[in-house]
Amino acid sequence: MVATKKYSIIDTETGALDRRIFVDEAIYREELEKIFGRAWQMIGHVSLVPNRNDFFHTYMGEDPVILTRDNNGQLHAFLNMCRHRGNRIVRADEGNSKNFMCTYHGWTFSNDGRLEHVPGVSEAYYDALAMDELSLIEAKVDTYAGIVFATWDHEAPSLEAYLGDARWYLDVSFNRRDGGTIAYGPQKWLEPCNWKTPVDNCSDNYHVPVTHLSSMLAKNKLIGTPRTTQQEMATSIDRRHLFVNGHSLTFAEVDEKTPRAGHGMTAANRHLFEAYQLDTLPEVERRLGSKRARGMQLNNHSLFPNGVLGFRLALPRGPLMTEFWHFAIVDKDAPEDIQGYLRWGLGGNNGVAGLFEQDDIDNWRQVSLSATSPLARKYSQWLSMGRGHTTDNHPEYVGHVSERYISESNQRNFYTRWEEFMNADSWADISIEPIAADYQGSATLNS
Amino acid sequence: MATQTKAAPQTTDRELWSELMDFYIEEAWILDERRFHDWLDLFTEDAFYFMPRRKNVYRRDLAKEFSGPGDLALMEEHKTDLQMRVARLDTGMAWAEDPPSRTRHLVGNLAIQSVDGDEVHCKTAFIAHKSHLETDQDLYTGARHDILRRVDGQWKIARRTVLIDANVLLSKNLSIFL
Repeated sequence: MVATKKYSIIDTETGALDRRIFVDEAIYREELEKIFGRAWQMIGHVSLVPNRNDFFHTYMGEDPVILTRDNNGQLHAFLNMCRHRGNRIVRADEGNSKNFMCTYHGWTFSNDGRLEHVPGVSEAYYDALAMDELSLIEAKVDTYAGIVFATWDHEAPSLEAYLGDARWYLDVSFNRRDGGTIAYGPQKWLEPCNWKTPVDNCSDNYHVPVTHLSSMLAKNKLIGTPRTTQQEMATSIDRRHLFVNGHSLTFAEVDEKTPRAGHGMTAANRHLFEAYQLDTLPEVERRLGSKRARGMQLNNHSLFPNGVLGFRLALPRGPLMTEFWHFAIVDKDAPEDIQGYLRWGLGGNNGVAGLFEQDDIDNWRQVSLSATSPLARKYSQWLSMGRGHTTDNHPEYVGHVSERYISESNQRNFYTRWEEFMNADSWADISIEPIAADYQGSATLNS
Repeated sequence: MATQTKAAPQTTDRELWSELMDFYIEEAWILDERRFHDWLDLFTEDAFYFMPRRKNVYRRDLAKEFSGPGDLALMEEHKTDLQMRVARLDTGMAWAEDPPSRTRHLVGNLAIQSVDGDEVHCKTAFIAHKSHLETDQDLYTGARHDILRRVDGQWKIARRTVLIDANVLLSKNLSIFL
């Protein structure tokens, strides 16, 4: 079936972006169906449900989801909705339970989704209820480096295909150690902005020296963190900004001694991070090969649709509201002190009270809100930076690779990907780029 | 997260109670009058300021309601980190607080839990209101569990644990001090 093209919101030649997509209620409702109803989304982490019968409550778009590890150790993601009337069957963030009883009439579902018990099934229903057909609604689940992903669309390609070569870059942060990662969190708070703005912001290295200058100055003054200037950002050629298979990535070319996870690093503890980097280098090199182990550091990135810089989520709550979830994800086998600094650094930079993130929100919000004005809507957002300075044939790096670290190429591509999802009748209309990167080393999607 | 009562007889000391209440009233005025360097001076050099996440869990899991040490918190700050937050405000470019919030901290329900030499364990309840930019309003409620230490005749905060009542914070950020 050929999709009828409906949305044309980004002019990739000029970078003009239609602001309606940030405020229009009908567009938002369609996003819930065509994007959040289809795409693989991060919903949790294996470390949040370490034991049999553990559950963790999460969301896919606005839909409440129960991530369970059933009695056999199998992961499931279920719509948190009793099949009878629709009440939620879980009301807590997490716990451990073999089954979930609806508090309305007592329908009870096992943690593998089966409807196990219906009060009065013989007497009131005269044994005419097809309990086998009333299991919980289940999403397709897979994991990458311990992060649990799910999609409602059982026609969706595999998670491996969905991540595509974004994984080649993501591995540099998330797939380093044999022991995998552990997730702490989340912090949860409400950001009064459209969900797309924080996602797009992950590739906006342009804002960092302006929005976050106060934090860089304060960190430099008190804990000796080097600060980046606008000039360095704009001119550095050892940092990259690229888009691959729907996902936005930025990374830096670094030497083998440079600590890969710098959050929480201070002048005083830097030696611990350097030692961790060098101590783990042989293992990382065995897993990722020499190029990725010795020469690359992942920076800001976002996974389509709503992953924001690591395992952090922009959950839509209406066109002008986003529930933000911040997790800290660290190597499980990292020493306790490194884990502690990373956890502190990740939250201290980018959590609800994070030095950096607290300064982002009013920017994002006003970007979204400007679109509520019919006058302002006449004037497009202007994403023209770096037009014509991106290559699809970089000798070393797969993807649409910009010449500079500061570019709006990823944003143009992100909104083009949005258009593709919104204009597609099914997954058959959504492109997947073939995996083309050279995955040296032993690391795979799940191990 | 109730602290053990170590010295029950002294918890009825009205004079101490008044002294501490004065301290908390003064702290609230310092915060609301944006005298943040004076606020930093209220902390000992080895102070630790901790705000765990508050989870929404079933009654049977209440032991896990607050994220513990070693888990991700909302804030875990040593004095240097608090100084960093104030230094940020001083730059005039900390956009979350420039223009600054207009805050009102109300602190009450002081209960002295134990007195141990120069240190007092006590808890208070607070309501903090933040008004920001033109029409933004946030309300934060919770409890503070403090260890106050007498240093050179002055009370200082050696440890503060802020137990916030919200699960999902209904605010765009946490840019004020609680």
